[in-house]
Amino acid sequence: MIRYLIERIVFAFYVLTLLGVFIGLGSYFLLSRDLPQLPDDLRKINLSLSTEIYSAEGERLKVLGQRYPVPLEDISPNFINAIIAAEDASFYRHKGLDHRALMRALYMNIRERKILQGGSTITQQLSKNLFFSFERNWVRKIKELLISFQLEATFSKQKILEAYCNQIYFGNGAYGVEEAAQTYFRKRAQDLTVLQGAVLAGLPNSPNSTNPFKNYQRSMRRAEYILMRMVKENFISSEEKSEALSSPLELIRAREDDNPNRYFINYVLAKLESKYGQEFVHFGGLKVFTTLNTRLQEFAHMSALSHLEVLEGKMTRGLPEKKIQVGMVSIENQSGAVRVMLGGRNYSNSQFNRAVSNNRLPGSSFKPFVYLTAMERNGYNPASIVKDEPIIIEIPGTEPWEPKNFSDNYAGDIILKKALMKSLNSISAKLIQEVSPESVIKSARQFGITSPLGNNLSLALGTSGTSPLEMASAYSTIANLGIFNEPYFIERIEDFKGNPLYENFYHGVQNYSPKSIYPLLNMMQGVIDSGTGRIVRQMGFKHPAGGKTGTTNNFKDSWFNGFTKTFSTSVWVGYDDNEPMVDQSNKGLTGASAAAPIWAFYMDKALKGKNQIKFPIPEGIKFEKVDVYTGTLADNQSMETMNVALKEETVILPRAAEPSIAERDPSGLSTTSELTNVPNP
Amino acid sequence: MKISGIQRQWWVGAVFFLLMLVLLFLEFYGKIFERGIGNYLKWQNASRPQLGRVWDNDRQTILAQTKVESVRSLFDSRQESAEAIVTLKALFENTEPSFPLVLSRKKFLDLYYDFPGQWSARIISPFELISIDSKYNWTRVLLKRFGQWFTISFLDSHNIPVHEVFVATDALKEVQSTRTVKQGSLEKVGFDQDRVYSAAVFLPLLRTLDPKTQHAVFPNPRWFLAKDYSITRIGVRELEFSKKTLSDFEFGIEYNTDYYTGVLLIPVSQEIANNLLSQIERTGFDVWGEEFSALAAPPVGDKP
Repeated sequence: MIRYLIERIVFAFYVLTLLGVFIGLGSYFLLSRDLPQLPDDLRKINLSLSTEIYSAEGERLKVLGQRYPVPLEDISPNFINAIIAAEDASFYRHKGLDHRALMRALYMNIRERKILQGGSTITQQLSKNLFFSFERNWVRKIKELLISFQLEATFSKQKILEAYCNQIYFGNGAYGVEEAAQTYFRKRAQDLTVLQGAVLAGLPNSPNSTNPFKNYQRSMRRAEYILMRMVKENFISSEEKSEALSSPLELIRAREDDNPNRYFINYVLAKLESKYGQEFVHFGGLKVFTTLNTRLQEFAHMSALSHLEVLEGKMTRGLPEKKIQVGMVSIENQSGAVRVMLGGRNYSNSQFNRAVSNNRLPGSSFKPFVYLTAMERNGYNPASIVKDEPIIIEIPGTEPWEPKNFSDNYAGDIILKKALMKSLNSISAKLIQEVSPESVIKSARQFGITSPLGNNLSLALGTSGTSPLEMASAYSTIANLGIFNEPYFIERIEDFKGNPLYENFYHGVQNYSPKSIYPLLNMMQGVIDSGTGRIVRQMGFKHPAGGKTGTTNNFKDSWFNGFTKTFSTSVWVGYDDNEPMVDQSNKGLTGASAAAPIWAFYMDKALKGKNQIKFPIPEGIKFEKVDVYTGTLADNQSMETMNVALKEETVILPRAAEPSIAERDPSGLSTTSELTNVPNP
Repeated sequence: MKISGIQRQWWVGAVFFLLMLVLLFLEFYGKIFERGIGNYLKWQNASRPQLGRVWDNDRQTILAQTKVESVRSLFDSRQESAEAIVTLKALFENTEPSFPLVLSRKKFLDLYYDFPGQWSARIISPFELISIDSKYNWTRVLLKRFGQWFTISFLDSHNIPVHEVFVATDALKEVQSTRTVKQGSLEKVGFDQDRVYSAAVFLPLLRTLDPKTQHAVFPNPRWFLAKDYSITRIGVRELEFSKKTLSDFEFGIEYNTDYYTGVLLIPVSQEIANNLLSQIERTGFDVWGEEFSALAAPPVGDKP
């Protein structure tokens, strides 16, 4: 019986052994086809050219894919011992596979019927990092094991450890021990203390949950465990462990990724990637010199933050996580260079770039394009009389449209310049009805507005979404007296040797004659000097400037777009979820109260110490003082007068003599024409 | 069921078991299994594909560098082709709407002053140039074509145009713009020998002409002197019908350089050509106090 039993056991042993051998050989031949080739030198894996992004002043803004590989001699033994104790205590004894650790992991995984532990050695982890996906499955695990055998057979333990230390991820964007030491302790990897080494060694296993910035207690518990392992492995004594635990960690403040330049940088990278391809940007070793002016960007950021905080103090909304957001772009008029791009108030909280997003309505800040179309196509001029009154516009197939003024007050007869200064909705509605939405769209395109624009009358009140970038560029065309400069972000690109690959050249196109644009420019100066944007002057901004406010229904969006001779800047303010911005006194935030102060703060700082440059008056322009309510030349009967810039050929008539009774209109209707003072043919 | 083999040859089982024990021992102390596979894989490493993250990065780096190279060579070739342009007219002719040309200040001024005639000064007055120069620090020139216009932008070191000059494309059709240079003797470029005259005949006649006609038939003498070109002969020919778009006749001014003989071709109107020919061809007449003799061509070609 016993003999029979032994025979059976021996037989089973044979069969199992043979089966094992066959399964082993079979799976090897099956998997070996997909096994990757190893490089001949592990140091090569860190050799890739990093692309650098520079500001207009030559400051390095970002380096893509930069690694800081260091030789093993330049890594503190405190860290090396800690990582070995934490990840692979028998590192110097095995040849790629730790039998005990594997058995332990196998047992745990079979018991739980899922992959919980890897039991991976440092060599296996390196193998995974270099060649394989992070997906957990058996096939990947076997391949990883085979490659780790080859790594052990090919390279020394020192080389493997060095490659591992330079490859692994330590959280907070730090790859490799040198970058990790800088990120957490602002010191070199060779200077790490025992405690610091233990804290860092605890990170590769779970870079987020044991991150000392995010969870200090858990991180310290993990470090304590690692120190205990170090004692067990005889790397340190118990006394040294206690000493380490009582020593200061010297953790620095977390480097918050709230750099406002990131919006600009990411936008530039996306543009480059779409033009040249991803690998060109990330592996090309380029030097990208951008137009961003970090000093101005900082001014913009500070202006926005300080004003938004003031506004939020007055808001009724109590949810602290819902912040008022901002989008801002500032363009240098002469060249079209984008000097400032603020996509939001805090990059680390929200990476959505509101400066280029066209999902918000510009409101009244779109009106200048309507006015210009009316002046260009239908002979209006800044002194033309229009009637501000409640209107109802019949639209076939739909409800009639009843555009109302912001204050629901109507001024009656008024000149066009004053209408724009007061941002009267009824006038814009009348003008677009007269010139047609199609022609307004055509004009807007000439100003560089590229977003889809609705072919409907409400376009006059800015009901099609545009971005601050587009608005700044469009207003820049006004400041440039009709020259549209394509906004650009990159001055030049060089390869890593400094050879030029690309350079930007000015591409200005005269889309409107200076004579056509100047009257509009002058009207927009009126907006800032004594119109809806007068807060800019009240805040002490003295440079000659023009602009326009914009506020959408229910105070969901506030805009202020304006220009000086040097810069055109667009500011949008609003909630991301489109909720109305209403303060505690139930007063809504307008373009003048929410966006214009940011504009004024920023422009004042940006132009500090600079000469106040007047806009050049082009040839063929004259100035007349006119009566605001009759559009005739100002005289002693005028209640309110205003200087307007007109094309030279425009004739402004003096006030007509009081007509005799016989001359009076028998119908008794107003003699005001919407087309008085049109240019002579 | 009987397992006769095992029953009969028990020692086979023992050997197998022993072998297993030895293998286990070697694995435990010498990691024979890992070493074996590792070395086998190392041995056939080169035959395996370059897969995985490391190689992907490597490939992308190679791809990126290839692209960088191609972008750079395109950039360089554009610059080289701009710098290789030899005449001001060719500069305009090579400017395509989609490919603006950029050239250095020196190259632009060289082309400007190298044009054999007044055409360059008609496009941009030298006084305008000197005025730009006195006001701005321009380092390069950008030439763009847009519709019926060329834009010459004078760029500062930041590529900002400090001054712009607009030139109508029609300027390329002016008679003066069509002056060209060809290598070879007058005969080689198509002039009949009986219409070839000695420079000694032509130059004294040129001095007697009014400045306007002088400019129409001859460049500023500096053009020859600065380049060390010696004028040898002058030829006149009537243009073929197909070429008579701007002028009817063409003057050829032959000159010798240290290395070759060249001809400057100057289209002229029929009126000017007839006027000059009538004066030259007053046979046997000693026009300017010297014997009019040489219709025969002097020796041409490379100087020793």
